[in-house]
Amino acid sequence: MNPNLALHAPLPTRRIEVTTKSIIMGAVTSRDWAPLHHDVVWAKTEGNLPDIIMNNYTQAGLINAYVTDWSGPAARVGRLRFSMRSPICPGDALELSGVIEAIEPEPELIWVSLAIELTVGERVATRSTVRVALPASEQSPSLWHRQAGAWKP
Amino acid sequence: MTDLPSIVKSWIGTAVVVVERTVTVEKESWLGFCAAIQDGNPLYWDESFAQSHTERTIAPFAMLPSWGSTHPWYPGKQSDGIRAMELHFMLKEALSYPNGIVTSVEMAYHEPVRAGDSVRVEQILRSVSDERATRLGPGRDWTIEVVYRRQDHVLLGLETMSFLGYRRN
Repeated sequence: MNPNLALHAPLPTRRIEVTTKSIIMGAVTSRDWAPLHHDVVWAKTEGNLPDIIMNNYTQAGLINAYVTDWSGPAARVGRLRFSMRSPICPGDALELSGVIEAIEPEPELIWVSLAIELTVGERVATRSTVRVALPASEQSPSLWHRQAGAWKP
Repeated sequence: MTDLPSIVKSWIGTAVVVVERTVTVEKESWLGFCAAIQDGNPLYWDESFAQSHTERTIAPFAMLPSWGSTHPWYPGKQSDGIRAMELHFMLKEALSYPNGIVTSVEMAYHEPVRAGDSVRVEQILRSVSDERATRLGPGRDWTIEVVYRRQDHVLLGLETMSFLGYRRN
């Protein structure tokens, strides 16, 4: 059920061709109306940016999806941290990669810490760390049934 | 932070923006976001799969802040409404920075959001730096903490966001 867990093991990479449509779609569906995510003239002239840029909600969504595609949907992401170092723009070939940084077994679950990078060629666009809980075994109760006090992300 | 306008100084440490309810969470809204990022997690899409984990399908956690943003237009609209990070826009205006970007985000996820929920948002200003030279122009860094609760006050998430506000050189 769980992926093979080994310290420093890499996650499979995911490649995404970023387009104007995907950036605008991510911004609009996350209800982010700021012009730097849909108006190229504004982004260049007012934002001093090379083009429209991917918003942070879309980046958070991509990172979460990258993690649960690897872990499977029974996993439960507890904490996401990311810093955006350079913009993600239309035409970028974005690659998500990750590595297991820590494994912390607890009764009925295993906390896994992942270091994830979003890169465009040699350029690091975003660095992220994610703390995700995986069921300890197939017999473990669903992580989503934990009472609020027992869920400590 | 010695050169801050008094209004901004008075905001530090307080919940400047509290949004009780903006929109009702709907499945088709979050599926549009899933389509944008090509996220096929069955907890978002598949009611029968979700039943054994989350009882019903849930919204992607990355959208939690989105549920605190008003529609860009509605009948009788008098102002810009509440934007997803209203306090950030208030700071930009108070400090005369036309531009602002998010530089880092930390999110702790608690109870998931389901269709029919609404989200209460509390935005607390934690810090504002002195002005400094940046690649994009002169600007300041600020940090905002956000507490997300369901309509019945159940904790949904805690967020810390860092921003850069700037004006072009």
